[in-house]
Parts: sequence; structure tokens; C-alpha cells
Amino acid sequence: MPSGLEALQRRFVAAIVEGDEAFAAEVTGGGKLTPAGAVGVYRRAYPARLTEALGETFERVWRVLGDEDFFATCAAFVPTRRSASYNLSDYGRDFPEFLESRAELAHAPFLGDLARLEWTFKELFHAADNAGLPAAELARSASSGCRLVFGEATALLALGHRVHAIWRRDLADDSPLEPEVWRGREDLFLHKKDGLVYSRPLTPSEAAALAALRAGRPLDEALAGAEGLDAGTVSSLFHDLAESGAVIAVRT
Amino acid sequence: MSGTFPGRGPAVGVGLRSVHYPHLVTRPKTAVRWFEAISENYMDTEGRPLEVLLTVRRDYPVALHGVSLSVGGVEGPRPGYLERLKRLADRVDPWIVTDHLCFTGAHASNAHDLLPLPYTEEAVERVSDGVARAQDALRRPIALENVSSYLTYRESTMTEWEFLVAVARRAGCGILLDVNNAFVSASNHGFAAEDYLDAVPPELVKQLHLGGYTDMGDFLFDTHSRAPTEPVWALFRRAAARFPAAPVLVEWDEEVPAWPELEAQAVKAAALWEEADALRA
Repeated sequence: MPSGLEALQRRFVAAIVEGDEAFAAEVTGGGKLTPAGAVGVYRRAYPARLTEALGETFERVWRVLGDEDFFATCAAFVPTRRSASYNLSDYGRDFPEFLESRAELAHAPFLGDLARLEWTFKELFHAADNAGLPAAELARSASSGCRLVFGEATALLALGHRVHAIWRRDLADDSPLEPEVWRGREDLFLHKKDGLVYSRPLTPSEAAALAALRAGRPLDEALAGAEGLDAGTVSSLFHDLAESGAVIAVRT
Repeated sequence: MSGTFPGRGPAVGVGLRSVHYPHLVTRPKTAVRWFEAISENYMDTEGRPLEVLLTVRRDYPVALHGVSLSVGGVEGPRPGYLERLKRLADRVDPWIVTDHLCFTGAHASNAHDLLPLPYTEEAVERVSDGVARAQDALRRPIALENVSSYLTYRESTMTEWEFLVAVARRAGCGILLDVNNAFVSASNHGFAAEDYLDAVPPELVKQLHLGGYTDMGDFLFDTHSRAPTEPVWALFRRAAARFPAAPVLVEWDEEVPAWPELEAQAVKAAALWEEADALRA
């Protein structure tokens, strides 16, 4: 049987999260508040905090949707997802999938991918810089059968919509997002260097090669498996990889 | 450092907020003598927030102020929380680590709020256990802050200040006395804030907080979105006289103003502290 304190805390949390109205009988309201009004102060603060957290992480989604639709979407999301972390910025990991599931947002099917990009950016922003190999050392160590080890502050996103330009555009730019802007798939490589997060759109063949390399496939096999990679593209990709500091080791 | 501010005189600090990062990384001259960082904003990052905090720490004492210890929560701290806080404290070497005398929800449903506890013997015991666990893990003393509240529990058997002092004595921790919160709770629950301050033994108070509330009409709401109001400044004069050893922090969490305005509040607090000090002499 729970202690008095345990039972009280459970009921208070239930009042905040689930709206258990009976809990008000346990308290006296402050100021001119009724007991229910006093509990309501805490109950209203709860979704407000979680919505604020979503707004901080998904700033571009908010911008695209506008205040009314963004807050309405958050109001639908918050009751279905509790926060179990002490860190508010952990909230909203599956917000991208939620956006894609909403019929009322079907006119903007790219929102899930935009949110996915924003979540990934946030994760890399808080990650430690990769301890990347210097470009010269990477060039010296790489051989046809070697495997590249990527640092944790890297991400390869395969997105169903072209959202990179939407993500990068000026927040003040509210020009309409016609389908030609976002229609078509997009691959992105993100990494962190010197405290900054960088992003690079990839061609399908570059993405295939990078995916294979990140999966631990040998260099020659990864390149051979990517259709359409010519020598110039390989050279450019490796130059960018070397400069990014994303590769932290070479295993032969 | 271990719970004692390095230096003498009116030690007034402000909260470290991201809107001021660009200014602070230029290492400007300022009347502010220390900074308080919200622990959770730096525990899970290796990014710019931590970089700025460590830069500031090179020049100033820093306090770590948490909002998620949930020291009165019956489930105890969330797994990994104290370990991460210790790792941060070891890197920052704060002059003090503080959190709130409250609980923040359940492990499965964090309310992300500073929920008041009932003022009962069972809650004193619960908090004492939580403080012991935290101090053992951190290997540092901590101090707990009185929270603003908008309700009281029918089952409470003591006043808020009796509860606060009982916890500090039983748990062996310090008190972070938030003057604004004492005023807000006094107004909301119909007691005299002066009685509250007068009942707290000076030797237990390790730090004072100042902040601004919002009058919602039906009650006072602790928003930290504005400068302290005149009644809070008046109460601060009393606190400065009673707790001369306690460093002071100006808290501003919402609608954070430009640096000069925040700094001006710190200067005002230091001037009032000097006045109180002159009267003591």
C-alpha cells in the first residue's frame, strides 16, 4: 500500500497529466483561487512547457505551419506523449512521425522530414565534436580494402522530401512553399566540426557510397556498389569527408 | 569549492542565459560578481552552451542550479541524473550546487514543474533521504530553494518555513532563500513574508534569490519575467540585513532583457545590500 506521500504525489501528477479532478479535494487554493483553480494553474503549465520545448526544437516546422496550426498540432501531440526525461529538450523524438500521421497536414507532407532534420540538427548541436583524422592522415591511411570509422557527431539522412532549402531559408521568408520546392527525395550528410553543425546535400550515388561506408563496408566495395560514381565525384566526396573531420579512424 | 562563496562584500550574481552568450564571451567588464547556470541546460551537451559556461567560469564563480532533482519525489532521482550532474559539477567546480524543495512529477510522467510538497513529517523524511543521496553522489553539500506555490495541502501539519528549516536541519543541507518566492507564497496563502524570513536561522542560508512575479488578479504567479517589484525589494532589504553572508542572485528566466538592464538590477541589489551592511555596522 502506498504511503500517504506517495499516494498524494501520484494523484497530483494524475491531476496535471490526466485531469483527475478529485485531487482538488486535497488542497486549498492560494489567493482567490478555488482548489480546482489552483490545481488548474499547474495543469495548464504542463502542456505549455512541453509545447515550448517542441517549439524550440522544431522552429522551422513552427514557421511553416504558423502559430495557430503549430499550437493546434502540439495540443494534439502532448496528450499522447508523456515526458519521461529530466531534460525537456528530449521531448518530441517522434514528433516527425506524428506530423506525417495527421490528416489535416496532408497538404504539407514534407513536414515530417523537416522535423526529422531539425531533430538531427539538435542532436548534433549538443554532441561533442568528432575527433576526426587530419585530412593528410586520412589520405595516407585509406586503401581500397580499408573501412572508415565515423564519429558520433555525424548523420546521414535519407528523406522522402526536399527540405534542406526550406530548413536553411531565412526565418522571415514566408513565401509559399509550392510542391515543386519540396517534391522529390533528398539525401543529406550532417556533421559537427569546431562547434558548428554542417550539412551537405548528396547525390543518390554519393549517399549510397556513404551509407555503405558508415555501415562498415570496405572502401572498394562501398564505391563499387554505388551506381554512377565517377572518379571526379569520388574525389570530391573524399575531399569533403577529409575536410569534415567526420572520419575518426581507418581500419585495414 | 564547497558551498561557500569566494570573496566578501555584496556578492550579486545573475543567471547565465543564452541571449547574453554573445556579449559574455567577449569577457566584458561587469559589476556582476558571479553567474548561476541551470544545471540541466548543460548536463547533456558538449555544444556551445557548455563552451560558454566554461568560458565564463574562467573569470567568475559559478553556481549550478537544478530544476529536476525532484528531491521530495518518492521515486527518487531519475536514473543517471545524479551521475550526469556530478560529471558537470566536476567540470565546472561550482561554488554551490542547488535545487528546489519540491518534486517534479513521476519517472514515467515528468511534469517539468516545481510541485510543492505537503508540510508533513513524512515529507521531511523523504526529502532528507533525497538530500543524503544527492550529497553522497555529488560529494558536495547542496542547498534547497523554497518554491512559490499556488495551493497548500489539507494534510500539512506545519508552516512552510517550519518545513524548510526542519528539512535543512534534518538533511544537513543549506537553504537557498528565494525572497520573491517567499513573498509570492505569503501573498497567495495569507501569511506575513516578514515572519517567514525572521524564522529562518541565518546560518542555514547559503544564498538569496531575487526575481519578479506577475499579478494574475486572483493570485501572484512566479514568472521570473520581470524585475523584482517594490514589495520584493523591501523584503530583500530585510533579508540582506538578516543574512549578510549569503550571496544574492537576480533571476530572470522569461522575456529576458538586454544585458545592461539585467546588470542594472544586480547593481541595485548590491546597493541595497551595502545600505543594509551600513545599518548593521
